[in-house]
Amino acid sequence: MKMFSVSHKTAFVVDHCPYMAESCRQQVECDVLTKSRGQGMIPLAPVSKSLWTCAVECSMEYCRILYDVYPLRKLINYIVSDSEFHILNSWRQEDQSTHELMSALAAVGPPNPQEDPECCSVLHGLVAAVESLCKITEYQHEARTTLMDTADRVANRGRIICLTNAKSDTHVRMLEDCVQETILEQNKMAAGSDRLMSIQQCELVLVHIFPQGEDTLVSDRPKKEVSSLLTSEVHSVRAGRHLATKLNILVQQHFDLASTTITNIPMKEEQHANTSANYDVELLHHRDAHLEFFKSGDLHMAGSTSRDSGLKETVTLKWCTPRTNSVELHYCTGAYRISPTDVNSRPSSCLTNFLLNGRSVLLEQPRKSGSKVISHMLSSHGGEIFLHVLNSTRSTLEDPPSISEGCGGRVTDYRITDFGEFMRENRLTPVPESPDTEASGKPPAERAKAQLERYTRYWPMIISQTTIFNMQAVVPLANLIVKESLSEEDLLTCQKTVYNLVDMERKNDPLPISTVGSRGKGPKRDEQYRTMWNELETLVKTHVAGSERHQRVLDCIIACRSKPPEEEERKKRGRKREDKEEKAEKNINKDSEDKSWQESERLKGVVERVKEEQGESEVIKDSPDSPEPLNKKPRLEEIQLPEKAKGPVSLLTMWTNRITVANSRKHQEFAGRISSVNNKAELYQHLKDENGYVVVCFDFVSTVNRMDLHENGKATR
Amino acid sequence: MPTVVLMDASLSMTRPVSLEQCSEELQRKNLAVAGLTMLFEHMANNYRLEFTSLVAFSSLWELLVPFTRDYNTLQEALNNLEDYDKTCLESALHGVSNVVQQEWGHACPTQVVLVTDGSLGIGKGSLRHSLQTLKGRPEDKKFPLPFPFPAKLFIMCIANAEELQMTDTMHNLEQLLQLNGGDGQIFTMEGQLCLKSVQSMFGRLIDEVYSPFPAVLRCGNLASDVQVFPRPEPVFLDEEIDPMPRHILTDLEIVGFIEIGDISSPPVMSRHLVLPIAVNKEVDDVGPGTTEEPEEETSANQQAGKIPNFCVLLHGSLKVEGMVALVQLGPEWYGMLYSQADSKKKSNLMMSLFEPGPEPLPWLGKVSQLGPISDAAENPYGEDDSKSPFPLQPKIKRSYAQNVTVWIKASGLQTDVQKILRNARKLPEKTQTFYKELNRLRKAALAFGFWELLKGVAELLERECTLLPDTAHPDAAFQLSHAAKQLKLASTGDSQYAAFDQNINPMHTDFSGGGAGM
Repeated sequence: MKMFSVSHKTAFVVDHCPYMAESCRQQVECDVLTKSRGQGMIPLAPVSKSLWTCAVECSMEYCRILYDVYPLRKLINYIVSDSEFHILNSWRQEDQSTHELMSALAAVGPPNPQEDPECCSVLHGLVAAVESLCKITEYQHEARTTLMDTADRVANRGRIICLTNAKSDTHVRMLEDCVQETILEQNKMAAGSDRLMSIQQCELVLVHIFPQGEDTLVSDRPKKEVSSLLTSEVHSVRAGRHLATKLNILVQQHFDLASTTITNIPMKEEQHANTSANYDVELLHHRDAHLEFFKSGDLHMAGSTSRDSGLKETVTLKWCTPRTNSVELHYCTGAYRISPTDVNSRPSSCLTNFLLNGRSVLLEQPRKSGSKVISHMLSSHGGEIFLHVLNSTRSTLEDPPSISEGCGGRVTDYRITDFGEFMRENRLTPVPESPDTEASGKPPAERAKAQLERYTRYWPMIISQTTIFNMQAVVPLANLIVKESLSEEDLLTCQKTVYNLVDMERKNDPLPISTVGSRGKGPKRDEQYRTMWNELETLVKTHVAGSERHQRVLDCIIACRSKPPEEEERKKRGRKREDKEEKAEKNINKDSEDKSWQESERLKGVVERVKEEQGESEVIKDSPDSPEPLNKKPRLEEIQLPEKAKGPVSLLTMWTNRITVANSRKHQEFAGRISSVNNKAELYQHLKDENGYVVVCFDFVSTVNRMDLHENGKATR
Repeated sequence: MPTVVLMDASLSMTRPVSLEQCSEELQRKNLAVAGLTMLFEHMANNYRLEFTSLVAFSSLWELLVPFTRDYNTLQEALNNLEDYDKTCLESALHGVSNVVQQEWGHACPTQVVLVTDGSLGIGKGSLRHSLQTLKGRPEDKKFPLPFPFPAKLFIMCIANAEELQMTDTMHNLEQLLQLNGGDGQIFTMEGQLCLKSVQSMFGRLIDEVYSPFPAVLRCGNLASDVQVFPRPEPVFLDEEIDPMPRHILTDLEIVGFIEIGDISSPPVMSRHLVLPIAVNKEVDDVGPGTTEEPEEETSANQQAGKIPNFCVLLHGSLKVEGMVALVQLGPEWYGMLYSQADSKKKSNLMMSLFEPGPEPLPWLGKVSQLGPISDAAENPYGEDDSKSPFPLQPKIKRSYAQNVTVWIKASGLQTDVQKILRNARKLPEKTQTFYKELNRLRKAALAFGFWELLKGVAELLERECTLLPDTAHPDAAFQLSHAAKQLKLASTGDSQYAAFDQNINPMHTDFSGGGAGM
């Protein structure tokens, strides 16, 4: 589509000469109800519009439809002509509104019948219109500045619609010649100017208006070429209703519009609130909304009917009882602004108000047989109504492989909820354009991308890859550290978070290390903390370049955490590898991919619950009222048995535990002994089902405790 | 984008190819079959989501295989192809047009692969004849090109360029392409006609049209290698000002996220599947396969399935949260990523392309002006997600949203006058609405230069005044005569009383106690 086609600029020239004050001789009875009120009352004489009033209201209707469908880039310059020309607005976008024009028209007022007809002519206006078409619009200017060396690609075309009362065909020819001459003259002038552009193509549409009951002195003539620059057409129309129809057809032709009639709109009757009648409403919109019908040639199949004029057609679409909601994402191939043809009628305003209130309506093609085809949808967005074209044919993307069948599809513990939270934090919002923001550097969208970059510097995708993001206690720091800059208060919060973690470690609180897939013992508590600290350090390190306060958070962590001996570090790495292998093994056992997807959702839920519980328990421990944990249990333990966790522990127990732990670090425990019950190891444990396996775990924990005591020779049993 | 393979099955295809090295005698048809076999094999492995159909033609045409992803069926039909009589391309193209329209409608871009030896018939029904008689045909006997749907025409000639240029064949084929709007290409064989050269010709077609589109999807530092299917087509904007085709970047960068309700069913140019692919493997190995794969591949795919992939994470969260990700496709070109459910079980990451431009959706405003919520003074979504900054409101309301006055139909004018009269009879209770309606009428009458109406309504109000019952509130009479007087003054056009932006205000009376609503 060409941006600067003839319809980019439309100059309206309306004749304001004395003869336009003549009545159109179509009378309007505005005292309609009086007849029923009492006899003897003389009803008011009917009023009738002047030719001028007819011309103005029909041209305003043309503008109304245009501005509704094309609020931008299609410009109108309104010129009134009598003894001189009056330009009522400019090409500037802010001058483009019916309100502006109405206000200017009121200032002009109706033609003065007393004025000397000799010095009045529509020619003044036509000359002004040609001059005006040479003036560059802000869009043309913008396009020329951005194109620089290829600026000549920006075309200058335009249309002049002249509403007048011509004397004869010769008079019409004289008007055409005058426009042609003026174009040549103006083009010469424009060649030497920066602010003017020469006209490459001009369409002159002359509308001759004459009163009812008179014979026309001017004959209709289809479009013909006056010169390579100018085409001209003549429409001879009776004032009133006919003129309105004519301009309605013209606006459709000029701006590629088409008409859709929504039928079967259920509306409550004012008198009978319980019943509803069906109404039709006609809408205008860009004709691409009917592309499918045009191409298939079954415009008639889609229920099109000729309107009274016989010149234009409308496509009928049936109202579907609203079934769609705003959270559904329809496959929509086009959306076009609409304008109701009869904007003030009750059915029209009922429909538009319904839509403006935020509801959408699906529209179906009326078919006598076969299945229902929903091809369009009416919906409003921010006070503008659009006709959406929905795809109603077979999709070439049907039956694609499920995402769970592809790469990463079998991983079950994605941090779906966390990423959802991340997305909410990274939602977009319109930022008002202002010179300040441009001065400050990046446009908002680039700032949004920069934020995404900061937020994802360290972002493990699966639950079992992370400790810190599974901990409630880390949340305040994790939320703040990604910020571009930290306030003093933010820094304090981060430091508090670190102190809190130190406290947790001192108290030996359990960490939510993922145990998914690990069989038997998980990593020891102090190792868990080491992992956690390492991860936290990794997270914060990615942000230290941000500001000095970010650096201070890292300093705080380094100062607070216990330093891991290097040897231990290495051991831990070995263990990690082991864990991974085990996990991988377990994943293979997962059967169908769909099941694994559900599995991940379920698992996610479980983890979530665990997290919540942990969160709760942490809260309790944080409060000063809660008792200190009494037990220092062996770190081998992964899951605390409730009955063991409570109750006093003797000094001896604590001592023996410590020794045991120290000893156990020096060698790797035999697998058999670890899993033994009363020093008897059960063989072929893997044959048991999963549930059985969990039970074995528990048994093992309690057994080890007892066993330790036994080994020290001081059985307490 | 579906493909139609239009295979020439005329007798001339059976002409033998003179081969020096090879003892076995080959027909042109054998070469064509070999080329298509290569194409089908490639598609089965690397472009498996493509729907392809096979149409054979001579003087008649026949749909051998309707659109399918089952390349074995296509291959089988190709192998069993029989030989028929003469070439008549026009009717075959009509056939293609029908087949595509019946299956996909008129909006779906299609690829037509015509395989022929370049002898396009003689006399009536030949391409030469069709092209000579293009003009002056009746509406129902139009040449099938251009197709009513967007189509690319690829002409695979089992002949070399020199051979075609000796006759007017090349010229006719070029004309055919032009009729199709220039969309497509003519492929000819280079050098001797043999298996090698036919494979190289089909290889060029594959590279250009049927190679997967690899890209990287990024969200900050999270990234995934993906394949976009079908290949996104280059887009032309305003051909006059901006005649260069626009291609989407292979680096797809997420800008941010928007709720589905806020983006609300936007119009899109095309839709594409975004399929994650394994990084360290060759792109060719992991086409968007749908059906079972060979044993070795299965284990490789399982391996890839177990490595966490950003696409899967993104898809899962988009689905759960009911959101879309706004993605940048190029300079001033955007699209959206969302979860698309094909059935209850299967869902996928889909990308829709918006029309290129700085402001593809009026209700979002300029995309470059969309920033992070942290830029706003307070959260535009509210602390409890109860609000939304979208949709943007246009500066000027549309006519249907601002109670405009239109009197083109007499009924419009009558309704407006009756509204005033109805309120006039309920003065002083309805003082506010009475003046509101009165001023609306006054403004329109002034703009339309319809002073006669102002006088008429003034007279009506004066009459109403005389008809007031004795029980009427005294204020009513004052307001009516005041309004009538003001209208009359306005109808003189005196600038003091006929200013457009001026309103008639209710008269202040001593009865203000009774003048409810004042």
